[in-house]
Amino acid sequence: MNMFSSLMLASLSVLTLPIMSSILNTHKNSTYPHHVKNIISYAFITSLVPTMMFIHSGQETIISNWHWMTIQTLKLSLSFKLDYFSMIFVPVALFVTWSIMEFSLWYMHSDPYITRFFKYLLTFLITMMILVTANNLFQLFIGWEGVGIMSFLLIGWWYGRTDANTAALQAILYNRIGDIGFIMAMAWFLFNTNTWDLQQIFMLDPNLTNLPLLGLLLAATGKSAQFGLHPWLPSAMEGPTPVSALLHSSTMVVAGVFLLIRFHPLMENNKTIQSLTLCLGAITTLFTAICALTQNDIKKIIAFSTSSQLGLMIVTIGINQPYLAFLHICTHAFFKAMLFMCSGSIIHSLNDEQDIRKMGGLFNAMPFTTTSLIIGSLALTGMPFLTGFYSKDLIIETANTSYTNAWALLMTLIATSLTAVYSTRIIFFALLGQPRFLPLTTINENNPFLINSIKRLLIGSIFAGFFISNNIYPTTIPEMTMPIYMKLTALTVTILGFTLALELSLITHNLKLEHPTNMFKFSNLLGYYPTIMHRLPPLANLSMSQKSASLLLDSIWLENILPKSISQFQMKTSILISTQKGQIKLYFLSFLITLTLSMLLFNLHE
Amino acid sequence: MSLAHINIFLAFTVSLVGLLMYRSHLMSSLLCLEGMMLSLFVMATMVVLNTHFTLASMMPIILLVFAACERALGLSLLVMVSNTYGVDHVQNLNLLQC
Repeated sequence: MNMFSSLMLASLSVLTLPIMSSILNTHKNSTYPHHVKNIISYAFITSLVPTMMFIHSGQETIISNWHWMTIQTLKLSLSFKLDYFSMIFVPVALFVTWSIMEFSLWYMHSDPYITRFFKYLLTFLITMMILVTANNLFQLFIGWEGVGIMSFLLIGWWYGRTDANTAALQAILYNRIGDIGFIMAMAWFLFNTNTWDLQQIFMLDPNLTNLPLLGLLLAATGKSAQFGLHPWLPSAMEGPTPVSALLHSSTMVVAGVFLLIRFHPLMENNKTIQSLTLCLGAITTLFTAICALTQNDIKKIIAFSTSSQLGLMIVTIGINQPYLAFLHICTHAFFKAMLFMCSGSIIHSLNDEQDIRKMGGLFNAMPFTTTSLIIGSLALTGMPFLTGFYSKDLIIETANTSYTNAWALLMTLIATSLTAVYSTRIIFFALLGQPRFLPLTTINENNPFLINSIKRLLIGSIFAGFFISNNIYPTTIPEMTMPIYMKLTALTVTILGFTLALELSLITHNLKLEHPTNMFKFSNLLGYYPTIMHRLPPLANLSMSQKSASLLLDSIWLENILPKSISQFQMKTSILISTQKGQIKLYFLSFLITLTLSMLLFNLHE
Repeated sequence: MSLAHINIFLAFTVSLVGLLMYRSHLMSSLLCLEGMMLSLFVMATMVVLNTHFTLASMMPIILLVFAACERALGLSLLVMVSNTYGVDHVQNLNLLQC
C-alpha cells in the first residue's frame, strides 16, 4: 500500500490552509505572505514524492472522493485524475509559483494590501490545480472559471487606473467568448455520451466529434489567446509583474492548451480539427511574433512572446503530438516566469520605467538580472541543451518531418526566427549600450528574496529540460532519422534571427529617426486588430439593436408608413402639378358663363 | 311647372349666381352655397311629399347631413385663410403655398 494518493491529496489540500486561516483572522499579521510562501514550498516538496513514484512505476491514479449528485443518469462526483499530465505539471507549477511568491515578497513589499495579494495568488493556484487534476468536465469548468475570475481580480489590482480596469474587463470578455465553446462541448458530451467523465468519453470514442472539438478549440482560443481572441493578453500586462509571471506566462494561459491535450484521444482521430488547430496556431505564432517586433514596453514584448509560444504549442497539437506540447508547457513555464521576474527587477530598479527606449547600460549595473535575462532569452529561443531546446527543437523537427501543411510549417519557422529577433531587441535595448535612464538611480538588486527566487528559476531554466526529458517514460517516439539540414533547421533560423537583429540594431542605432512606415505601424498597433474589433462590431451591434428596437416599431410602423407618408406625398404632388394662380373669381365667373351659355343653347335649340 | 316649383328654382339660381359672382369676401360664397343646399332640400321635400314617394323620403335628410359636412369643411378652409391673413378677402388667395 503506497502513499501515492494520500500524498497527492495532502499536497493539494495544504494549499487551502492559508485560505482557511482567513476565517480565523490570522491573515492580518505581517508574516502571512511568508506563511503562504512556505506553505507552497512544502506543497511542492510533498508533491515531488508522488511524482517520483509515478515516474518509477508509471502508475496512474483516479481518486473519486465524494459523490455530489446524480441528475437522472448523470453522476457528478469529485474526482481527481492523477495521470502523466497532472503528475508532472503539479510539481512544475508549484515550483514556479514558489519562486514567484518569493519574488513578490520583494516586488510588492510596499503595497499595503500585500496579504490580499497573496491570498488572490493562492486562490488562483488552487483553482489552477483543480483545473489540472480534474477528471470530469464539470470540475474542469470550475477550475476554468476560477482562474478566469482570479485573473480579473489580479489584473485589476491597481484598480484606480482606468487602463487596468479596461484590461481586466477585456480579459473576462474574451475568456467568456471561449467559454461558449466549452459549454457547447459539455452539452454535446452530455447528449451523446451521457457523461462528463473523461474515462467514459474516451472509452465510448464517439464518431462525429467535429462539434465538441470545435467547441474545445474555441475555448482554447479564448483562454490561451490565439488569433481572434488574443488582445487581452498584452492588455493584461496592466497587472503587477508577479501576476504576469504567474498567470499570463506559465499557468493560466496554458489551461487552453492543457484542455486540448487532455482530449488528445479524440483529437487524434479527427483530421479536420487537427488541420484547424495547426493553422490557428501557425497564424497566432507568426502574427504575435510580428507584433512583438516593434513594441516599446518590455512587458508587452514578453507577453507577445508568450502568445507566440502558445501558438507553437497549438501547432504541436495540430501535428498530433500532445506529449511534446505538454513538455513545452512545462519547460516554457520556467524561462518565461524568469523573464518576467527579470523584467520586474529592471522595472523596479529604474523606478517603474517600463519603456525599453529609456533603459540601457544595465549590463554593468545589474549583473545578476542581466545574466538571468540573457539565459532566459537563450532558453526561449531554443539554444542547444538549455531547457527550451528539449521541447522546442523536438517540435520543429517533428513538424519538419511530418506530413503536414507546408504553409503552416513555414510560418512556424519564420516565427521561430522572429523569436530570436525580439529577444535580441530586448537584450540590446535594455542591457547594452549607454544608459538612457535618469541619473538619479535606485538600482538595487541585493535583496535575498529577489536573488533566491531568480536563482531557482535560473537553475530550472538550464537544467529542467534535461531533467524532465530524461525522467519521463516514452510516449510518442520522436523522429530519429532525418537529413542534416532538417535537423539543423531550428538552430539555423534562430542564429539567423540573432545575427540579423544584432546587425540591424547596431547599424541603425545612431541614425536619424524616420517617419514610421506602413509595416512599422502595422506591427506597432498590433495589426490594427484591437483598433478595429473593439470599436466596429460593438458600434454596429448597438446601433442595429437601437434602430430595430425603438426606431423600427415605433417611429416607422406607427408613424411613418401611413400618416406622414400620405401627407408628404400630397404636398409634394400638389406643388408639382398645380398650375393655378388663385384667381378664384375669374374661375367662378367663367363657370357661370359656361353654364348660362350651355343652358341657353340647349333650351332654345328646339 | 307650378308656381312653387318656379319659386324654388329661382331661389336656387339666385344662390348659384351669388356663389359664382362675388366681390371680395369668401364668406359670401359659402353663404350662397348654403342657400343652394337649402333650396334643394325644400324642392326635394316638396316633390317627395306631393307624389307620396315614401321610399325616397330619406333623400332630403341625407342631403342635409352631407351639407353639414361640407359646411364644416368650408368653414375650416375659411378659418385657415383667416388665420393667415386676418380677413378672408379673395384677392389674398393668389399665393398657393403648402
